[in-house]
Amino acid sequence: MTSRRELTLTYVVLGAFSLFALAPVVGIVLTALQDPDGLAAFGSFNGLHPSNFADAWRDGNFGPYLRSSVIVMVVVVAVASVLSVLAGYAFGMMRFRGSQVLFYVVLLGLMIPTEAIVVPLYYDYRDAGLTDTYWALILPQIGTSVAFGTFWMRAFFRTVPRSLVEAARIDGASSWFTLWRVVLPLARPAVLTMMLLLSMWTWNEFLLALVMVTDEGLRTAPLGLSFFQGRNQTDLTLLAAGAVIVATPIVLLYVFLQRHFIRGMLSGAVKG
Amino acid sequence: MAGVRFVGVDKRYGSVEAVRGLDLEVTDGELMVIVGPSGSGKTTALRMLAGLESITAGEVLIGDRVVNRVAPRERDVAMVFQDYALYPQMSVFDNLAFGLRRRKVPKGEIAARVQRAAELLDIGSLLERKPGQLSGGQAQRVALGRALVRQPQVFLMDEPLSNLDAKLRTQTRGEIKRLQQDVRTTTVYVTHDQVEAMTMGDRIAVMNDGVLEQVGTPEEVYERPANRFVAGFIGSPAMSFFDAAVTREDGGVRLRGEGVDVHVPERSALPASVIVGVRPEAARLWGTTTGIAGPVPGTVVYVEALGRETFVGVDVAGSRLAVYEEGRSALQPGDTVEFGLVPGALRFFAPDSGAAIS
Repeated sequence: MTSRRELTLTYVVLGAFSLFALAPVVGIVLTALQDPDGLAAFGSFNGLHPSNFADAWRDGNFGPYLRSSVIVMVVVVAVASVLSVLAGYAFGMMRFRGSQVLFYVVLLGLMIPTEAIVVPLYYDYRDAGLTDTYWALILPQIGTSVAFGTFWMRAFFRTVPRSLVEAARIDGASSWFTLWRVVLPLARPAVLTMMLLLSMWTWNEFLLALVMVTDEGLRTAPLGLSFFQGRNQTDLTLLAAGAVIVATPIVLLYVFLQRHFIRGMLSGAVKG
Repeated sequence: MAGVRFVGVDKRYGSVEAVRGLDLEVTDGELMVIVGPSGSGKTTALRMLAGLESITAGEVLIGDRVVNRVAPRERDVAMVFQDYALYPQMSVFDNLAFGLRRRKVPKGEIAARVQRAAELLDIGSLLERKPGQLSGGQAQRVALGRALVRQPQVFLMDEPLSNLDAKLRTQTRGEIKRLQQDVRTTTVYVTHDQVEAMTMGDRIAVMNDGVLEQVGTPEEVYERPANRFVAGFIGSPAMSFFDAAVTREDGGVRLRGEGVDVHVPERSALPASVIVGVRPEAARLWGTTTGIAGPVPGTVVYVEALGRETFVGVDVAGSRLAVYEEGRSALQPGDTVEFGLVPGALRFFAPDSGAAIS
């Protein structure tokens, strides 16, 4: 039983942290809505001017950037998710020779930062004639995403009771059928959480896009935002509007999936 | 339907031997209970039969077919798991129909077979529910039903009652036995509970430490345990033991142990030293029955009153013996008491090997 005082204290602390987290977000939205001709100041309020978004959209050429981002994100997340589920199932539920060693090799992909490999990767892709194509953004990110996804799905599959899979085997189901019809329906929160995390990371990827593509038509949103920032250093309102535009899709995705996200984060933490 | 045979079966995990040289035959239509303490290899044996564990050496046969390298789904067995392993996202109907659908049984027949099993197990009203909405007993019956509809050659049951409360366990015990007698499908039933083994098995296989200790009807295993382990494991309260030196005397033998000095008439051919096994009903309070050997003095350690009968734990110079008393007992822990042994009901074991001496 929590006492009233404890409860109040909890709310005060949580409230303070929420404010701390929300303040910059609210600040940037308010800034983006400020009078473009007025005196811009971060977080201050002087009326609602949604026209800033239209200006930023036009000036910053955000349409093509967002399109690139969506293409890269959708392909990376879709392919990486399928591969991660398959690999996670194998590592989590099947017994085979060398599974330990192989799993550590996969984990390497999780430990090595992009910064460490981006330069040699650039030369390899240039030699293969893949720079300045979507492939240069998609393939390396599938690689790093599968490393995380495999780790994540393996952890989930290990929480599934073995007897469930064994029952299906005895009942006559193949491994393939068992995965898609018996186990995966239970994995929905875990899979959705993984997809959300991969989406966020892919959407926000900056370095790879910076190094791999020079063609403006291939630029992703964060890269576009950076160029936009370079051109409009002083126009705080316009910059804020651009930032909001780039962040909005992923925020919407999160809001849409957040129920599953929290369930996925909790799965495995406590025995359900 | 078919019988099952284990022929010289070994199972090793690295250097650990889970099962050693298992030879066991389950005849067609029989309910064989494999019983033993945890780690005795009983579940491993069952899982090898199911195809869930590989076989290190030896052969497992279902009917006349060696199934060592046959996939679980090709073995035509159905298994009931300890945690039931119901598919949580599927309705009870779909759970029951799962195995039949995988085997491409026509739709009409699936419906008929599920319906029949549901009636037999009284789960007809639950068919639309999900496993999460079932009580433990209901889930247990659905798990049984899932095995039943398959009409397999062999049922495998891995401690199916251990998650139920005591009352439901007793009830379901009878129900499984009745079902098995109805369908007469060969059944291998694994449990650590010797009461379950005694009440359900046509025959019992007692395992310990990876080795099969004895196979026989419940009566045989209880009355003529092959060795000290079986004697101590089967029966509740357990058989008590004490060491004794044997001398011949007056056409019988005299047993002398710590605090014990009794003459057992009409008993001969015992080695000089033995372990004496005494079931609770073979030890009676002195003066309540005639023809018992004694008296043996001791101190009451505990009194376990079950209503119709009472078991009195008596300490005799460091060994503890359970003594049977009819009805309620007036004894209290700390009381001194005398009891005697029923000569014909005593069991003797060799001190070194633990093997029974007949």
